[in-house]
Parts: sequence; C-alpha cells; structure tokens
Amino acid sequence: MASPTKELVKTSNLTKTYPDGTQALTGVDFSVTKGEIHGLLGENGAGKTTLSKILSGILKPTSGEIYIKGNLVRMKRPSDALGLGIGMVHQHFALVRPFSAFENIVLGTDLNPTGERAKEAKASIADLAKGVGLQVTLDSPVESLALGAQQRVEILKMLYRNVDILILDEPTSSLTIKETGELFKSLLKLKEEGKCVIFITHKLREVMDFCDSITVLRQGKVTGRISKSEASPITLATMMVGRTVEFELKRSPMTPGDEVFTIDNLTLLDREGKEVVKDLSLKVRRGEIFGIAGVEGNGQTELAEAIAGIRRVAKGSIRLKGTETEGKSSSVIRRHGAGLIPEDRRQMGLILEMNLDENVILGKQRDLQFRGSLTSIAWRKVRQFTSDLMKKFEITAKGPESPARSLSGGNQQKVVVSRELSSDPDFIVAAQPTRGLDVAATEYIRKLLLDSRGGGKAVLLISAELDEILQLSDQIGVMYEGRLIGVGAAETMSRERIGLLMGGIVA
Amino acid sequence: MKLPLIGGGRVLAPLEESAFAALMGFFFGGILLVVLGYNPILTYYYMFYGGLGSLSNVTDMLGNAAPLILTALTFAVGVRAGLFNIGAEGQVYVGAGGAIYASYYFLPAGIHLGFALVLAGAAGALMAVPTYLLKAYRGVNEVITTIMLNWTAYFGVLWVAIVLLADPARPEKTISVAPTSRFPDFLLGSVSTSALLFAIAVAAAFYVYLWLTPSGYELRSVGLNPEAARFSGINPRKPLLSALLLGGASAGLAGAVQVAGRTTPFALYTGLSNVLNYGYNGIGVALIGRNHPLGIIVAGLFFGTLQAGFSTVQLYARVPFEIIQVIEGIIIFTVAAPELYRRFRGSLKK
Ligand SMILES: Nc1ncnc2c1ncn2[C@@H]1O[C@H](COP(=O)(O)OP(=O)(O)O)[C@@H](O)[C@H]1O
Ligand SMILES: [Mg+2]
Repeated sequence: MASPTKELVKTSNLTKTYPDGTQALTGVDFSVTKGEIHGLLGENGAGKTTLSKILSGILKPTSGEIYIKGNLVRMKRPSDALGLGIGMVHQHFALVRPFSAFENIVLGTDLNPTGERAKEAKASIADLAKGVGLQVTLDSPVESLALGAQQRVEILKMLYRNVDILILDEPTSSLTIKETGELFKSLLKLKEEGKCVIFITHKLREVMDFCDSITVLRQGKVTGRISKSEASPITLATMMVGRTVEFELKRSPMTPGDEVFTIDNLTLLDREGKEVVKDLSLKVRRGEIFGIAGVEGNGQTELAEAIAGIRRVAKGSIRLKGTETEGKSSSVIRRHGAGLIPEDRRQMGLILEMNLDENVILGKQRDLQFRGSLTSIAWRKVRQFTSDLMKKFEITAKGPESPARSLSGGNQQKVVVSRELSSDPDFIVAAQPTRGLDVAATEYIRKLLLDSRGGGKAVLLISAELDEILQLSDQIGVMYEGRLIGVGAAETMSRERIGLLMGGIVA
Repeated sequence: MKLPLIGGGRVLAPLEESAFAALMGFFFGGILLVVLGYNPILTYYYMFYGGLGSLSNVTDMLGNAAPLILTALTFAVGVRAGLFNIGAEGQVYVGAGGAIYASYYFLPAGIHLGFALVLAGAAGALMAVPTYLLKAYRGVNEVITTIMLNWTAYFGVLWVAIVLLADPARPEKTISVAPTSRFPDFLLGSVSTSALLFAIAVAAAFYVYLWLTPSGYELRSVGLNPEAARFSGINPRKPLLSALLLGGASAGLAGAVQVAGRTTPFALYTGLSNVLNYGYNGIGVALIGRNHPLGIIVAGLFFGTLQAGFSTVQLYARVPFEIIQVIEGIIIFTVAAPELYRRFRGSLKK
C-alpha cells in the first residue's frame, strides 16, 4: 500500500454487480488525496453514482476493498460513512418537500428544529451558508424552492454534518454559471481547510477549470487518471466516450417566418402573492429558437408552468397561433399545437413506475389514434407507436414494456421529447432540456431542437446552461428577478454580456 | 399486447411470493399454537375443513369471499388513485339497507335483483360523495372523512333498520329480502355461488376499467405521479371522483351480497352484526391481492376460507376464539407484508 496518510480514500479492484446482473463497476482502482478537488468524469451510465454510493455506504461492493485514511473499512450503512467523515449529496435530491430548508438540514441529527437550541443552530447554519456562499432562505418549505436552491440545501446538509470528504453527484446540473462559480468558491475554501471533494460531472469545462486531478470512468472501468496540467478537453472527451466528439452543432442561417407564440405583459404570482414574473413580453416566430438564459429561480419555472396551463395568469396574456391559452388545460394547449417539455422529467414528464407504452400516451390517452372498441385504449396501436418512437428517436430500453424508471436519464428525456414532438407541434417549449444528460444525449436532444427549428417550428428554450443558449438560440433574453432583460439577436450577445445580465447587471 | 397482470406483466412472481408468505404465516401461527399448548395440525385441519370440508362449507366460504372481494376493490381502486380510502365499512351498511329497501317493491325475479343491486351500489356511491367534496374542495384527508362517515353510516343504518325497514312481526330484524331479489341458487344449490360469480364479474370490470380505458389510465396516473398527471392535462378531481364513486358502489354491492347472497339471514338485525367488518377486512384482502382485481379474487377466496374455519376450529379443535383470531391475524399479516412493505417504502421515497 502506498503511503496511507496521503490517500484519504482509496479503492482497490472494486466491482459492483447489481442484483439484476448489471455490471456497473469492474476492477475500479480509485484514489483521492487530502486537500484536493477530484473530478470523477464519465457519461451517464458510466458508474459514477454507483461508485459514490459505495463510498458513502449506501451500496455494498460485490468485491474489492475500500481504504479510508489508510484503514480498510467495511461500511454497512450511510451512517458508517458519515462516522468516517464521508458525506454524499445526491444527484436526485433526498429532501422532505413540505419541510423547511432548516428542518431538512437538521433532520436526522439530534437537534429539535422547534426546540431551545434551534435558534443558535439556525444562526450557525446561516453563517455556514454565508461563509461558503450558498444562499438559501432557511424558513421556506423546500418544495417552494427552485431546484438550484434545493441543491444548496442538500450541500448545506452535509456541511452541517462536518464531513471531511464531500461527494457531490453532478451538483452543477441544476446550478447556473453564477451559482456554479459560487459553489466552486466554497469548494475551494473547503479544500483550503484540508477537506477533500469528490466532484462528479460529465461537463469537461468544469473539471478542466476546478479539479486538481481527474479520474475518468467509462462503462464501469477506469479509463484514465490524470492531473489538471495534463488534461485537455479532447483527451478527456476521448477517454469518456471512447471516440472523438463533435463539439459544435451547426445552426444554419434561417429567415424566421410568422409569429406563432406571443406573451404580452405577463405577470405571475407565487402562493404568497409575490410577483415572480413581472410584465414579461416575448414573441417566437417559425424557424426560430428563442433562448431564455438566467440563473434558476428567477421565474423560469413559473413561466414554463404558465405556458403549460398549470399556473394561473395574474395579468397579461399568452397566445398560441393567435388564441389565448389562459385557463386552458395543458391537454387543450397541446392539442392546439404545443409541445411541452418540462424541466423536471422524472417528476413532471414521466410516470416512472409505468412502462414506456403507458408513458408515451401520457396526455394523449384520449386521442383517436389510440382509440379501440367503445372508448377503450387500443394497446396494440400504442405498442406500434412506442416501437416507432423508440426506433426514430434511438431510445435504448429493453422494450416498450420496460418501466420508465429503468431507463437512463438520456433515454428518459428522449421518451419525453419524442412524445412531445410526435404530435408535430407548431410551438415547442423546452425547459432545461439537457439537464443531467451525458454528452451524447445532450448532443442528440440539441440536434432535435435544431431540426425542429429547421422544420419551421417555433421553439422557446429555457436553459440555465449558457453554452446551450449560445449554441442554439436565434434570439436571447435573460431572466432576472422575474423580468426578461437584455433581449436581442444572438449575434449581438456575447458570453460576457449574458453573464453580466444573469447577475442583474444591464451593461 | 400482453394484458398487464399483477404487478405489471408478471403473474407468477407475486403468486409465489404470496404462497411463500402464507406458508411462513402458517408456520409462525403453528409455533404460537404449540407454545400455547394446542395441536397446530388439528387446528389447521379444522380451519380448512370449515372452509372446504363439505359442499355446504364450500358454498359458505364462497359466500364469504364475495363481499370481501367487493370491499377489497373499494380499497384497491383508492390506492390506485393515490388514496387511502377506508370508507367501505360504512358503504357496506348503506348498501345492505338499499338492497333491503328494494324489497318493498314488487318486481319480477331477475329484474328485482338488478333493482336491488342498483339501489345498493347507488347508496354506497352516495356515501362517498362527502369524502370527494371535502377532499377536492377543502383538501380534507380521506382517512378522516371516511372514518367519520363509517360511524355516521352505522348509526344511520341502525336507525333506518329499526324504524323504517323493521319487520312488523319481528321488530329485532328488518323485513327479509324478497325471494325475487335474492341471488339465484342455480349453482351447487346456493345463492352464494352466484353472488361470488357476481363479485368476480365486478372485479373483472374493475380490471377492464383500470387498464383498458382512458379514464382508468388517468386514475392510475394520478395515483402514481400527480404532478406528471397534472402537467399532462389531467384534472386530478376526475380520477378522485371515479375512485371514490366506483369504490363506494362496489362496497354498496358487498352490502347487497350480505343480505341477498348469503344462505341466511336475508335481513339486517339490530346491531348489524352480519355486515360488520367486511369493509375493514377488505383492506387486508386488497393488500394480499396486491391491489389488483385479479389478485383480489384469489385473496378473497383465501381470506374467505380462513374465516369460514373459525367456528369449526372452536368447536372441534377447542381453540378459543381469541387465539384463532390471533393466528388468523398472523397469517394475514405475513401475506400482506410484502405489499405493505412496498407501499411503505414507496411513500418514504416521496
Ligand atoms: N439499482 C440498480 N439496479 C440495476 N442497475 C443499475 C442500478 N443503478 C444503476 N444501474 C446501472 O448501473 C450502471 C451505472 O449506473 P450509474 O452508477 O447510475 O451511472 P452514472 O452515475 O455514471 O450515470 C448503469 O448501466 C445503470 O443502468
Ligand atoms: Mg449518476
């Protein structure tokens, strides 16, 4: 064994086979040294989550050893890992939604959130949050927070438990540039304190910018371990996907057609009556992608909900092909020619327990094309439809009968997108369409959006991913505190300018 | 496409699981019997003898299974819609009342039974309306309203039985259900067999509704993921209403079976003893049957058999009533445990 003091975490020949026979990890040798930010890079399905769950005591390896601070350990449950100073922030949040952020953070500790010491604890958490630059309103119920803020609660929860090895499973997939920057600032602080961060991502830029060393996983095997100085985007990408990746999608020039979708002076309120979207107007034309950038939690979620007909409009109007959609249900809005891709595919786009047949007709269950005798659903027709979609959109799954839960994130999103595009809509809203997806799936989804544009559809893209906005959009606006600011043609918008607008600075 | 069977596609696994769980239950129950000084083999022998030992025992057991299947459907359709509906108990009472009330009319056989069933089903469904209104418009949890309604139904039906439906000659009971509105006894010479066939038909209808109709699909969607259902344009109140009304109707029909489809007594007595607990036992049956109509048919027969063994075990194996109940509880709990676990784990994840 190499010098045990330096290596905080080390695995040797780690293998994990899931009960269903999936070989998620094969002979993984992985190590992290004290005081480093270590990037764990890999496509979806590479085994990153599996590895981190093993390190945090949630899963047991099939074989192989784990050494923490030089000692061979056998962890049986997450509390064992916490005892050893290892904490994990999950890719999909594990928060109690009706509880406040504060209650979530102290949940599972022996602190009574309404007791004597609660005030002190709250103050110390607020300090901690401020110190590491993770701002959250501690008293709001978690379900009222945007995904980005929920993520911050998760991170604070671990920091509150004083872990010295922090595992973050794709933490930036719900953060934005600004938030990511802040997160990294706090991670750097933790690093200075001698803590170690295992940072999981599939975003090359992030590992290049922030990680001291990088381990790349592909199909459950380590395909490389290099230090920051040796890393380049091309080498990393090749290690990750095993082939050279196309980095630029081609957005061919197009002349936009007539106006399809219009929002005029839209104002939306939250539950307390606070304005979350203020006097927002925009137009989307055929053959055009309108990109809305912005830090999450600035009203994008509410805007998308109002467009989908599941949030009341306080003032203003939303019109699709000239018809007011306010007060109409999302199925009516869809039938009128909208494709709605929700920001949270697992929660809003899919019913994970249902199989693909059942998921592809969600919202179309009363369509004539699936009508059997009397008013029954003709599952034979649905099956044909599912198979066609799977073929056309390259959805990888065991079959149309697989539950949606069993699909990878990329394939889940393909199911949602294919369902929405299959009705040949004139207008598509895509909210955070590639969040958490791997390189290949991201490329594929973006290409679909560009193809839709090419097919003369109007696309409204809401994304916290600046690269995505810049790559796809013809028109760009930034949402800041409920307002749409700095709207302009993509050519006139630089990365820097958008970055400033996202921080509320109108240059 | 293959019809989605229990647990979505695979029928064998849940059956094996339940059979294994049942064996475990009998085993643990047996240990308890030994510890308490009773002969487990003899006890189980009479338990099954009571249910299956003779033709009349069998028909009696089938008659017991019929209302259990119907009340289990009430609970199951609720679970499928994301509800914990325990209102079947009270709906059975009003259903029984409705079926008896039908006997004040003179109608030809067959039509008369149909009329009684319609009244019973409607009474049960009506009983579910307050639960719907309070949940849909005031957000009141259905557990609370259904428990309160069960008591309301109990005293309401008691009053109706004593005051409105009382038999002038025998004031301790209601009038007897007219022979024309009883279930026919064309099979094995018992009304219970046709009552069971009826319950099976209702279960099949629930199956068709849940898996082959858009409305049933919407109900299941809301039950599994209300947010995604809403985003897809489903108005969550509609499935809520369907689940409560269909469940209420089914429990009402269970009440009709109890007074028109059992060998005796074709009436309600003060205290309503012959309709008590079918709603609550239906929850166990639904859990054993994995909240699936086809599973519920099997589970109803199993539960019916256990229950029918009660009196014979007391009589012949001389095991006291309370201990038999404990043994039965153990068996039912072990069989329901896997499903309970899955439900509970599911709710933890959310
Ligand atoms: N609970 C599970 N049961 C079976 N297979 C699983 C399970 N969780 C993950 N897998 C599979 O293991 C592989 C690695 O998954 P995961 O660790 O989640 O990858 P990553 O986090 O890199 O996207 C994938 O093929 C995935 O489908
Ligand atoms: Mg993962």
